[in-house]
Amino acid sequence: MHRLFSALLLTMGCFLLDGCDRYYAPPPPSKGDTYRPVYAAYSDIRTIQNLSPQPLKNVGKIYVKDNYLYINEEGNGIHIFDNRNPEKPVQVAFIGILGNQELAIKDSILYADNVTDLVALNIANPLNVRLVKRIENAFDYPAYPLATNVRFECADPARGAVIHWEKADVENPQCYR
Amino acid sequence: MKIHLLLVSLIGVLTACANSDSVSPGTGIGGSTARFTISGNTLYMVSNTALQTYDITESSNPKKGAKTSLGFGVETIFPYRNNLFIGTQTGMYIYDISQPNSPKQVSLYSHILSCDPVVAQGNYAYVTLRTGTNCRNQSVTANSLDVIDISNVSNPKLLKSYQMTNPRGLGADSSLLFVGEGDYGLRVMDISNPLDVKELEYFYNTKTYDVIPTRKRLIVTGPTGIYQYSYADFSQLKLLSQIPVQP
Repeated sequence: MHRLFSALLLTMGCFLLDGCDRYYAPPPPSKGDTYRPVYAAYSDIRTIQNLSPQPLKNVGKIYVKDNYLYINEEGNGIHIFDNRNPEKPVQVAFIGILGNQELAIKDSILYADNVTDLVALNIANPLNVRLVKRIENAFDYPAYPLATNVRFECADPARGAVIHWEKADVENPQCYR
Repeated sequence: MKIHLLLVSLIGVLTACANSDSVSPGTGIGGSTARFTISGNTLYMVSNTALQTYDITESSNPKKGAKTSLGFGVETIFPYRNNLFIGTQTGMYIYDISQPNSPKQVSLYSHILSCDPVVAQGNYAYVTLRTGTNCRNQSVTANSLDVIDISNVSNPKLLKSYQMTNPRGLGADSSLLFVGEGDYGLRVMDISNPLDVKELEYFYNTKTYDVIPTRKRLIVTGPTGIYQYSYADFSQLKLLSQIPVQP
């Protein structure tokens, strides 16, 4: 009986202290930046677009192959520059790839992340980039923003794929990292 | 005569093809902050916690391969010789990729608590340590460039640490090391003696996130633009062009 009581007390204590579902993570910050997920429909993220040159805004990773320069526009796609004359690079096209951050090229195939998918694109003609293979769910669902020690509105896969995290006022955010 | 003409025009067509062929076989070059890299016929990708391989022997048909767990805070991947150098927030992993689809851990250099990338050249690896809000490890208070002796890859040793401002991506070519200092510009270092790394030039106004040195040309990315420099003359970089970024 005594033992049962101790067990009960321990369980209660656990609930009271709310220590059971927090593991050993530090307590969430009560102030500071908060973020909100920006969603896109799964059908939209799975469309690769051939677009005319776009202005550079939030440049990310870069890649060089042959006489071309590939510049990632964070979360949006890849700028292609003809760099035959490095004193005068010429902007050729923009490949719209939602969620894109990374790229690498072998032969005429460019590999890129496209939110949750890995895509292989034939870039032999930069004006007519073609999808040659899509591997769905190659990457984890983007459940949290890049920044740490921040609170955010929890991502809901039912609402689509998160293509971007925006800094915003979120009332009583339930997620943090 | 006719045959001769045909031959000439055929050669003409062939040359034209060779000239207009914009994409050659092989792989290109990425920056030091990349999470994707290609070595031989394998595409390596690091997520926050794992290393994933894809067999790309047939370029247009990537096939999913092995996945290796790496702990947390994985940030960058850099291939060098038969090794992959993986920068994480807790240290630098060296993986052997002699068998491309089954990377084997050779060592973990965990004396550093880093937030940034690693490149390798010769017997040395160069790592930048940066303080920053995205680093979970808030104990990092130093901003430095660490030179690590990797002549024995299974036992990497810190050779020397150099003070920096807020270093990010970096790139090496022969005796030059280019270090991106984020909002604090770009440094050009002489690494001919790793025990006595010297600054050759400092471009405060060239805000630099990452660099790619290739064929005596340096490509720089930053929040204000994409810069290209020639380093044909090692003692003095020459600005070739700037692609502006919208503020």
